[in-house]
Amino acid sequence: MNLSVRHLTLAYGGRTVVDDVSLEIASGEMVAIVGPNGSGKTTLLRGMSRLQRPGRGDVLLGGADVRSIGARQLARTLAILPQSPEGGLDLTVRELTWRGRFPHQGILQRATKQDYDAVAWALEAADVGALAERQLASLSGGERQRAWIALALSQQPRLLLLDEPTSFLDVAHQEEIMQILRRLNRDGMTVVAVLHDLALAARYTDRIIALREGQVAFDGPPAEVFQPEALERVFGWRMIVLRDPDTGMPVPIPRRATIAPRTHDGAGGLGLAPPV
Amino acid sequence: MAAGTTAGSRVIGVWDGVRERRRPLMLSGLAVAALAAVGLLSLMYGAVNLTPPDVWSGLTSSSNVFAHEVVWQIRYPRLLDGMIVGAALAVAGALLQGVTRNPLADPTILGITAASGLASATAIVIDREIPQWGIAMSCAGGGLFGAAVLFVIAWRGAISPVRLALAGVALSAFFGAAIVALLSSSRTFLQTSLGFLAGGLYGAEWSDFHAMLPYAIPAFAAAWLLSGHLNVLALGDDVAGGLGLATDRTRMAVLAVAGLLTAVAVSTAGLVSFVGLVCPHIARFTVGNDHRYLIPVSALYGAILVAAADLVARLVISPAEIPMGIVTAAVGAPFLLYLVKARG
Repeated sequence: MNLSVRHLTLAYGGRTVVDDVSLEIASGEMVAIVGPNGSGKTTLLRGMSRLQRPGRGDVLLGGADVRSIGARQLARTLAILPQSPEGGLDLTVRELTWRGRFPHQGILQRATKQDYDAVAWALEAADVGALAERQLASLSGGERQRAWIALALSQQPRLLLLDEPTSFLDVAHQEEIMQILRRLNRDGMTVVAVLHDLALAARYTDRIIALREGQVAFDGPPAEVFQPEALERVFGWRMIVLRDPDTGMPVPIPRRATIAPRTHDGAGGLGLAPPV
Repeated sequence: MAAGTTAGSRVIGVWDGVRERRRPLMLSGLAVAALAAVGLLSLMYGAVNLTPPDVWSGLTSSSNVFAHEVVWQIRYPRLLDGMIVGAALAVAGALLQGVTRNPLADPTILGITAASGLASATAIVIDREIPQWGIAMSCAGGGLFGAAVLFVIAWRGAISPVRLALAGVALSAFFGAAIVALLSSSRTFLQTSLGFLAGGLYGAEWSDFHAMLPYAIPAFAAAWLLSGHLNVLALGDDVAGGLGLATDRTRMAVLAVAGLLTAVAVSTAGLVSFVGLVCPHIARFTVGNDHRYLIPVSALYGAILVAAADLVARLVISPAEIPMGIVTAAVGAPFLLYLVKARG
């Protein structure tokens, strides 16, 4: 199911944060949104999911204006996982996952086999099957994040939006989260994630959308768009881009703030990208 | 709304998803037994003490005229009134704690009790002969008004527990002062005014019961129907919004129901404090935070607490009695201090 953002303008606290953004996200894509703090990533994601109503412009889901779709109906197609949710600490992972069935259940409706199946699948797909009876409060950061992903998955969405799902996690847990998302994407789910770690984004996504001051700075496959000049324009910092010897994917690295002659020497000779 | 589910394969019920978790059904069973025991004691003891057979014949026949008079006309309706008052306050407290995500929320602290009480006092001062249904109606208006003011003050803009608590303290002080001003400047300031201010069931009878029911029944039903929404709201506004919950509308509905339940209690018992604060916490110890359990179990504990407190209030200086609210405060205030200390 395609998601089209057309001339979307969103304000936050009276300030225009997303400024006339247009983009198309095709069914089955795996997209990372990157950009500096305050560049409008979170607000754009909230606008896409209707958590924030568009000021100007439209968001179309499968051709239909999201404003015309009922909130629960939308939640059956599109799931959004906000950044570091704080509630639910007293729940078990299974209880949390069940709450993802809310958009599917009527007010007095009994749980159906489809509900049970969706929860079982979500626990499995988010790799928390073994943690199902544990309380959220007792889990590590990475486990807790997977539990929240299970909640979003039990909505059985076609489109999954995540706001910084890997922040504050250690390397192994970051990779686990991204593998889970990659697997879901392989099985047909469209995934859009705000990510801070550029190398992680390059390793796991097919398309990078970079935002700067509320506008799209660049948009394309990581191998093409991660160029030092472009990255410097977006992040306001000089970058070098290495190649991951395993995947051939670009690995952007910020340069040191003070450039002493010693570190400058031989940079090109080590296969680093030339300084910008 | 029901789209996307397969008909014909329904199992178990709306209680699903939590059944794997150990449910202390036994504790709830004990609570029901406790309620029955308190109820029996309430019917037996008072200015005149009756035996269980007297109570039975008083309830079921009018052959024993004295027992029938005492049990059926005085103690039984007063017991039922107390149970409804307690259940209403406890459920109002559970709703408010859920919707504000604040463990210290309760109808008294947030000023809804005082708003409802002001409406009740005004109605009584204007027309001293006002029938009980008229008082109940004014209370409902006052409770809804208090809830609406709270919504507007505390929810325009950021949602912050601090703002909410401050608004509640301000409303509570303002309405409370207005009640005292009204009662003390009118010629109706009697012993009953004290009972109203402290909260009590002095003189509660069938007319109170009949006046409460039209508000209590739909409000209890609405509270329980909102429990799934409250469960989702507890996950935070963004998560709840992402799940398709209309967060502001849900908050408005929950506050309105809490306002009505508070009004139900105030119309019969005046300004009873702490029941709405304490009971949901005790319920949470036994059934956790799932509102589908929390709401009915809070109601049960509220009914027990008020019925027991009223029994104590009638017995301590028998044949006279003290306002029941003094007993709930004596239990509730130390509990509040414990909460403040335990939760930091």
